[in-house]
Amino acid sequence: MPRWGMAADLDRCNGCGACVVACHAENNISTVGPEEAARGRAKHWLRVERYWEGDFPDVRVTFRPVLCQHCDNAPCEPVCPTYASHHTEEGLNAQVYNRCIGTRYCANACPYNARFFDFFNPSWDKPLHLQLNPDVSLRMVGVVEKCTFCVQRINGAQVQAKAEGRGVRDGEIQPACAQSCPSRALVFGDLDDPESQASRLSRSPRGSHLLEDTGSRPKVAYLARQA
Amino acid sequence: MCAAAVAAGAACSWYEPAASSTSIAPVGPALPGQPGGVFTTARPTVGAAVDDFLNRPSEPRQPIEFPHDVHVGKNVACEFCHEGVDKGPAAGLPSVRTCMICHEAIATDRPRIQQITALRDKGLDLAWQRVYGFDNEDSVRFNHAPHIRAKVECATCHGNVAEQTVAQRSVEHTMGFCVNCHNERQAPVECVICHY
Repeated sequence: MPRWGMAADLDRCNGCGACVVACHAENNISTVGPEEAARGRAKHWLRVERYWEGDFPDVRVTFRPVLCQHCDNAPCEPVCPTYASHHTEEGLNAQVYNRCIGTRYCANACPYNARFFDFFNPSWDKPLHLQLNPDVSLRMVGVVEKCTFCVQRINGAQVQAKAEGRGVRDGEIQPACAQSCPSRALVFGDLDDPESQASRLSRSPRGSHLLEDTGSRPKVAYLARQA
Repeated sequence: MCAAAVAAGAACSWYEPAASSTSIAPVGPALPGQPGGVFTTARPTVGAAVDDFLNRPSEPRQPIEFPHDVHVGKNVACEFCHEGVDKGPAAGLPSVRTCMICHEAIATDRPRIQQITALRDKGLDLAWQRVYGFDNEDSVRFNHAPHIRAKVECATCHGNVAEQTVAQRSVEHTMGFCVNCHNERQAPVECVICHY
């Protein structure tokens, strides 16, 4: 049984934002417009955080892509009254939209701000409504949505591997963010496979986890900058 | 007042059934993502919610009365026309060109065949309506191919199409229906296998 995780090399991330765009396109994430975004209702399953280091004029900017950390001890799960937010056997922190009644406890419990409430039914400006991904459902008003590690691609690759009578190869599954990353800063893979690229990077001495002291045991490892 | 009218089966002023169920013209359902009047979170309209509650699925109106029984009776396999079924998520509804593979030569004297031949000659196609399928609000993703590979009979989920002319929705695809079979065959029953 795999245990999916990710490694993000901050040395490689240059903050281009391709992952954010790819995530929106792959997962049918609707945009809410400037007024609602100003109210904190914007939805980005993946965002690139920007930090300034040093004092002017010796400043430099660093970036950190932040997505759902798929915590092993996820704070969002025990607070859900309907088990909409739950852990799968493969270590994904999953959200079942049908079960969600929109209490938003999970979004408030998440230390990473990785869960987003749908204040509206999704709508897209034409012609963007023609590019929706049929493999991902459209979330209706009143539910919470979040990064799934592109579970549609995980399921698709597993179905294909089973049809061909083999296991899933390392690197075969790529979430949209990892696939679109031009500098390959994001690496997705099975953390239980000691040979997979993601688990090797996660064990790197440069590696650390975001807000580790909350005890959430996140599965996204960030590799610190060297330069 | 209006709810009572709907319960009595009468038309209701604020209930507008989908265009596909009232006219034979090939008008598809509204594309997802386009804004529409929304009354409930679970169904796009109150009327649809009432229909769902009273178990009254909308009847698809097909462009021609396709006789499934005749074709299955002549041992035409399901996947000959629904050719995507063992390849991917959607089985697919055949284009008029699939019809003409056989009907270029077979039963060319029948008026209905001449009708579709004329359609093909004009470069038009048949606007089949889906009979089965999930609402967007169900958040279900279904893939035919692994079910075919697991040797699930078509009739398990689609009823005995060999006895139907125009395909009818004879099996209700509830979650219990799916999960029962998954349990019997020890297929995965985790939520995110289907709901994502």
